[in-house]
Amino acid sequence: MTTFQPPVIDWAALTPVLVIVGAGVLGVLVAAFAPAARRRSIQVVVALLAPLAALGAVAWRWSEVVGGGESTFVAGQLAEDGFGLAAQMILLVIALVGFAVLASRLPGGEDAFTPQGASAPGSAYEEAARKAGLEQTEVYPLALFSLAGMLVFTMANDLLVLFVALEVLSLPLYVLTALARRRRVLSQEAALKYFLLGAFSSAIFLFGVALLFGYSASLTYADIGTAATASVGMDGMAVVGLLMVLTGLLFKVGAVPFHAWVPDVYQGAPTPVTGFMAAATKTAAFAAIARLLYVAAPGFAWDVEPALWVVAIASMLVGTVLAIVQTDIKRTLAYSSVAHAGFALVAIVSLPEGGPDALLFYLLAYSFATVGAFAVVTLVRERDDAGNVTGEATHLSQWAGLGRRSPVLAAAMALFLLSFAGIPLTAGFLGKFTAFVAAADGGAWPLVAVAVLASIAAAFFYVRVIVLMFFTRPEESDEPQRQRAQAVAPGALTRVALVVCAAGTLVLGVWPTPVLDLLAQAARFVV
Amino acid sequence: MNPYVPILIMMGVAAVMAIAGLATSAIIGPKTYNRAKLEAYECGIMPTPHALGKGRFNIKYYLVAMTFIVFDIEVVFLYPWAVAFSDLAVFGLVAMLGFIALITVPYIYEWRRGALDWD
Amino acid sequence: MSSLPWITILIAVPLVAALVLWLVPGLHRFARPVGLAVSLVTLGGAVAMATGFDPSRAGEQQLTQTVGWIPSIGASYAVGLNGLGLVMVLLALALVPIVLAADWHAVPDASEADRRATDRRRATFVALVLALASLMVAVFAARDVFLFYVVFEVMLIPVYFLVGMFGGANRRSAAVKFLVYSLAGGLIMLVGVVMLYLQGPGGPQGFLIDNLAGVVSDPTTERWLFVAFFVAFAVKAPMWPVHTWLPDTTAQATPGTSTLLVGVLDKVGTFGMLALCLPLFPGAARWAAPAIVVLALISIVYGALVAIGQQDMMRFIAFTSISHFGFIVLGIFVGSEVAMTGAMFYMLAHGLSIAGLFLLAGYLAERGGSRRIDAYGGWQRVTPVLAGLFLVSGMASVALPGLSGFIGEYLVLVGSFASSIPAAAVATLGVVLAALYFLLVYQRVFTGQPRAEIAQARADGALRDLGARERWSLVPVVVAMVVLGVLPGPVLDLLTPLAQVLALGGAQ
Repeated sequence: MTTFQPPVIDWAALTPVLVIVGAGVLGVLVAAFAPAARRRSIQVVVALLAPLAALGAVAWRWSEVVGGGESTFVAGQLAEDGFGLAAQMILLVIALVGFAVLASRLPGGEDAFTPQGASAPGSAYEEAARKAGLEQTEVYPLALFSLAGMLVFTMANDLLVLFVALEVLSLPLYVLTALARRRRVLSQEAALKYFLLGAFSSAIFLFGVALLFGYSASLTYADIGTAATASVGMDGMAVVGLLMVLTGLLFKVGAVPFHAWVPDVYQGAPTPVTGFMAAATKTAAFAAIARLLYVAAPGFAWDVEPALWVVAIASMLVGTVLAIVQTDIKRTLAYSSVAHAGFALVAIVSLPEGGPDALLFYLLAYSFATVGAFAVVTLVRERDDAGNVTGEATHLSQWAGLGRRSPVLAAAMALFLLSFAGIPLTAGFLGKFTAFVAAADGGAWPLVAVAVLASIAAAFFYVRVIVLMFFTRPEESDEPQRQRAQAVAPGALTRVALVVCAAGTLVLGVWPTPVLDLLAQAARFVV
Repeated sequence: MNPYVPILIMMGVAAVMAIAGLATSAIIGPKTYNRAKLEAYECGIMPTPHALGKGRFNIKYYLVAMTFIVFDIEVVFLYPWAVAFSDLAVFGLVAMLGFIALITVPYIYEWRRGALDWD
Repeated sequence: MSSLPWITILIAVPLVAALVLWLVPGLHRFARPVGLAVSLVTLGGAVAMATGFDPSRAGEQQLTQTVGWIPSIGASYAVGLNGLGLVMVLLALALVPIVLAADWHAVPDASEADRRATDRRRATFVALVLALASLMVAVFAARDVFLFYVVFEVMLIPVYFLVGMFGGANRRSAAVKFLVYSLAGGLIMLVGVVMLYLQGPGGPQGFLIDNLAGVVSDPTTERWLFVAFFVAFAVKAPMWPVHTWLPDTTAQATPGTSTLLVGVLDKVGTFGMLALCLPLFPGAARWAAPAIVVLALISIVYGALVAIGQQDMMRFIAFTSISHFGFIVLGIFVGSEVAMTGAMFYMLAHGLSIAGLFLLAGYLAERGGSRRIDAYGGWQRVTPVLAGLFLVSGMASVALPGLSGFIGEYLVLVGSFASSIPAAAVATLGVVLAALYFLLVYQRVFTGQPRAEIAQARADGALRDLGARERWSLVPVVVAMVVLGVLPGPVLDLLTPLAQVLALGGAQ
């Protein structure tokens, strides 16, 4: 019997994760001990300072590591390299703006979450909780835990670690999805759907892990990659295993045919959560997919590529076509995010050399636009007869004429939509451009052609929202009896988040050189 | 041999086992019907016909379940640790202390927020 | 003086002015005079720049400036002008103040209560036109394929908003149709841009046109690339069969927007054929020339025939433009240096005549309250100045000798006869049809007896001929038509060297 050797743990490399986990634990303790009146403000401060501190930690690790200091640790289960750190940087930036929107309140003081998650929708308890001004401040630690899982996702170099991280990032999101203040039944249904389908995909993922373990007798990517090149036979089992693992991950990015949950969950979840989840989950999961493909799977490229081609093409086409027929802004954005999963996949399907940095740039561009667009959605509200601000006005017809009443907000939304559509001088264009160059360089010409076709069709529905906001007078709207949407004044936090997202979208579109250079240094994986 | 064949065989065996289990019990099992067989299983006590309060289960069910999980997970790890205590030495001790500290946090939260006050 | 980065200044000034106008609410009230002043200053700058241009080297890029932009993907900010670029920049910047003056009332006056909203909309209009001016300079000056593509696409956005926010009743569908058509063309070109870059030398200046010219050696690849670029330009220029967005858009847009759209922006399509398709893919251009000539001929005849049947004045002018663009494309691809020079001159001349036609049709519609041709009749007596100017513009458009349109059309026909007699014969048919369609419309609108109530309104003074603003907005256009028609020499000197470099077949 071999004696136990404790694994070498590089605590320094784990600092960003530890900061976020620590902040999450702290958040739970705050929820336990702080007096109810002060709880929220403490939570918000913790939730905003933690990503900032973690960002500092990532910057420190970047200066230590990139350019020679890359390593794997804990017996090869975690990797610290430029790609992982760059992805963590993107995640933390998303978290900062996303949490700012998450923490915002309307002028009347209500936030996006139900006052008491445990009370039945429409019950007397709920009404009492609302009257008492209760707040579910647990959302902040939950979001932090989810973020911690995402950070580990980008470093995971081992299937079991990947699985644990997957669960850590998913479970809090299921809960957050259920906590919408309005349309609670829809929100709870969304959460249940997300949870059940998520559990299902996790099971598939685990099955794949088991098959890969059976194939290579190891769970670390490096060993699987070695086994693939050594050709030990049983390749079929490995390919099936790999595809199952990828299924679990593609579920998280919402790629077709694993996208069924996306529209319902994006619609049902509280809008700030949707924005954070759409951007951050996708970034984390794509980072994991890229590492898996580039480190563990090159030996199976021939077998896996066709499947990924199908997924990418199907995502782009299905996402685009279904987005065109939506009438709800959140569902439109949800299907558009499905299409964007396909576009992002284009960058890495054929494992080109420039794929990882193109992918990261694409994700960064997409994230700014996504968080920003959903932040705008949180501000466009209905009003009741007494003129009080009520729920979000998500029906597209309600957005008619927004550009006349709130030109700046509508202009910001238009900017995000143009970035989604990939119009030059926005971040989205360069994201698409670099992705297409990478894919074409790798020989995936047909994929680029489909991507271009999908972009043309996709432009149509982004443009349609702009038409509604700017070119339609409210009285010209199709359904005049619907209450018109009124934009409420954004709170300071949302304002900052919107400015950051808009500035990021513009700067990355006009002067992306610093970011591209940074990512170019990052695009190598440690094996 | 084609490497997919073992997987196919495995799928076949799994299907046969599942179908055979159902089929055998359907064919050779004694068939008696009574009310009790159709009741929900509630540890042998008389089942309550409906959940209290408009079809929703009392929140306390979930609290008990979650508290159980807190300690259950703890125990699941403590047993193997006890077995391998001497091998794992200080590393194991530190790791387990960290684990126990972390798992105490939700317990504290539960306690502070009044989840343990039964009524 | 020539050391100043003139082109960058001409790009920056209108852009900055547009942003300031849009973002500073205090300026909204004065948006129109400020915008007019900025556009005149920019035009003055362009004229000053032109004095530093050496006409004897008009075939080369001058006033160049090259700065790294996104080195990691090979894109540079590289600008410069050759003779054609200079002419187009001058045309574009000259039309901007004219359009601002002509569309002075694009946003109608509102009651006192809506004053601020009206001012804001006016400021938006002016800001969009100025932004468009900046982008037009950039697109004609770009020496980098990536920069060209970016500007080519971004230009759509201001036009889209101009059509969608300030157009007529069906502006929404018109704006969407315009944008989706153009984006579709543009994205097909994007594939070409990506593929071209990968074929090229790469590196931090991998997108410079100079570095990419002639790098594609494989004929099949070259042909695909040519097609990808050409489709985008054909949509832009509108050629049959991808022209359908143009009549719909002009029918809804304000006259000024239509002027910029057809007079300048659509020229980007033919400009792109000259500046990108020919130097980058000479072999494929020769290969495709016969097919393109056929398409161009179809455009000429089809545009003219359909124009005859139009009921809406703006749609009528749009279809005549499709016919004229056929001439330009014919001149570019028919394979004769003379015809190519003619095509370039035609681009300038058509910009002028189309400005005259669209703006006058707009003035007429303001007075008559309709854009339908059959709503008019006898307006010669009601608004004689308007009718006279319309006649001059129309005659310039259908190439009456002595006016600007004649030189271009004549050169194209002469060049075509030298290379292909059948093509020239069909094109000549287009000339005949042009005279027919224009005179028919003139007759229906301006001659005969005006309807009684119109004559009454005229007598009461409720209906006036062109006012001072309207006349002054057109004087420069008409003067330019006459001057270019009589004295085309200086401009032709700017264009000929480039045609010598680029001409297919004949010159080589």
